[in-house]
Amino acid sequence: MSAVISIQNVTKMFRGSDGLLVHALDNINLNVEEGEFVSLIGPSGCGKSTLLRTIADLIQPTSGKITVNNKTAAQARKDREYGFVFQSSTLYDWRTVIKNVELPLEIMKWPKNKRDARAREMLGLVELSGFEDKYPWQLSGGMQQRVSIARALAFEPNILLMDEPFGALDEMTRERMNNELLRIWTAIPRMTVVFVTHSIAEAVYLSDHVVVLSPRPGRLATIIDINLPRPRGPETRDHEDYFRLTSQVRHALRSGVRDEVLE
Amino acid sequence: MVGNARKSTSTFARAENPPVDLGLLRRILYSVFLLVMLLLLWEGLKAFSASNNYELQIGSATIDLSIFSDMQLPHLGDIARAFTEPAQRNGPPLYSTLIENAGYTLQSAVGGFLLGGFFGFLLAVLFAHSRLMQGGCLPYVVASQTVPLIAIAPMIVIWFSRAGNSALSIPVIAAYLTFFPVTIYTLRGLTSVPETALELMQSYAASQWEIFVKLRLPNALPQIFTALKISATASVVGAIIGELPSGFQNGLGVTILNFARYYNQSPPRLWATIAAAGLVGILFFLVIVLVERLIVRWQREDSD
Repeated sequence: MSAVISIQNVTKMFRGSDGLLVHALDNINLNVEEGEFVSLIGPSGCGKSTLLRTIADLIQPTSGKITVNNKTAAQARKDREYGFVFQSSTLYDWRTVIKNVELPLEIMKWPKNKRDARAREMLGLVELSGFEDKYPWQLSGGMQQRVSIARALAFEPNILLMDEPFGALDEMTRERMNNELLRIWTAIPRMTVVFVTHSIAEAVYLSDHVVVLSPRPGRLATIIDINLPRPRGPETRDHEDYFRLTSQVRHALRSGVRDEVLE
Repeated sequence: MVGNARKSTSTFARAENPPVDLGLLRRILYSVFLLVMLLLLWEGLKAFSASNNYELQIGSATIDLSIFSDMQLPHLGDIARAFTEPAQRNGPPLYSTLIENAGYTLQSAVGGFLLGGFFGFLLAVLFAHSRLMQGGCLPYVVASQTVPLIAIAPMIVIWFSRAGNSALSIPVIAAYLTFFPVTIYTLRGLTSVPETALELMQSYAASQWEIFVKLRLPNALPQIFTALKISATASVVGAIIGELPSGFQNGLGVTILNFARYYNQSPPRLWATIAAAGLVGILFFLVIVLVERLIVRWQREDSD
């Protein structure tokens, strides 16, 4: 196993809207192995989304080095090595569901018939066959997010970067989406997922490793290995180790926050 | 999963087959109602003023009501009748004269609309891609609209007649009025793209051209159509104002000048021409609404 994503001494400073310098990330070191499911968790303002965006080369770190598939993050982005899923589904209103899934394929110059077949296949994977010609507003929040996952996976990237993708969904839908995501992740061999969340339950349920970040400046507090058996399902949430691990993550979050109130 | 899908399907059924579009019906009824009220107010004021000999005594003050006299505010029936009567002795009925002149004006208006729309769009694209251009030029674009059109129209007519192409002067005058909303709204549409929608494109390593065609432009379309609806009516106004100093023989502006000069002979003629000018603007506006319906199809039914 080799590190698909390698983060070395990454620090990020930026100027906030009040003109003050914000220390968002402080000397982060992290390796993600191929095929792993890794969650980044921490209170608001701990820089977990910033860290994900530096991996995606959407934000450049102030100092430090990031390699993705043994390339610079910038090269990996140009080579379309990852799919990104945002907190809002970020579907384009003017495109139907299938046209949204085809968007990356159009940009990557896939021929039309291959594009169409692949988009249908992806919509099948997220169980939205039959919704091809709907517009995004005609879908529920959970369905919209499934379309955005189909879109992120359409061009066969081997890395999936997810920024609180289920944060806006209600608890029931979120748990269902967690199962969906595990099913999709299992269906695609060697797929690496980096998943940002502020839900302890979600992080433990999904991940191989939970990376706990502490805020201001964002530091890597600890990494908790989740050795729950796979495949996981609703019964996993009743597992003895599940309770132990969630409280372990909770304690790690608390000690990381110190005097500040957990949000 | 199944429950979710089923529930959403029923939502579609409702959205796609509304039993009756009460919203549209109500809106039409409401506008008709307002029009009827306005016409009743018009005739009511006239009747009231006439019965008081166009003077109203309140205490020691006398209010002059002569603006409601037949000379200044003709009866609606007289205006309607004016359409069917010849404007000149033995000439064709007024409506056919108006249609002919409205044709000229509409032609200039459409020319100005296209010219201004194209130029305005070009400016917006330029401004959207260059902060320097936007910062440097936008104040002048705004300033251009503070100069009254009626002041520059004669200048434009003179320029184009010197260049031997006086027919072009009216569309150019109309374009001066129409490019502005297109520039402002298009610029806003092109630049008001959600940050994550842009990040998505960056994650695909999309080129600037692809970002423009697949994100910025479709994102701007609803606002572009808002601008085009404003421009459509403005282009008719611009064409009419352009005709005033042109010395041309045809057009609604020319007709308005003529009937205003001979107002005392027949006030309803001028009013009929004003109504015709309004109708031309509304017609052009409705054409743009129709085109918008055909192109901007993704918006939910309840969003306008």
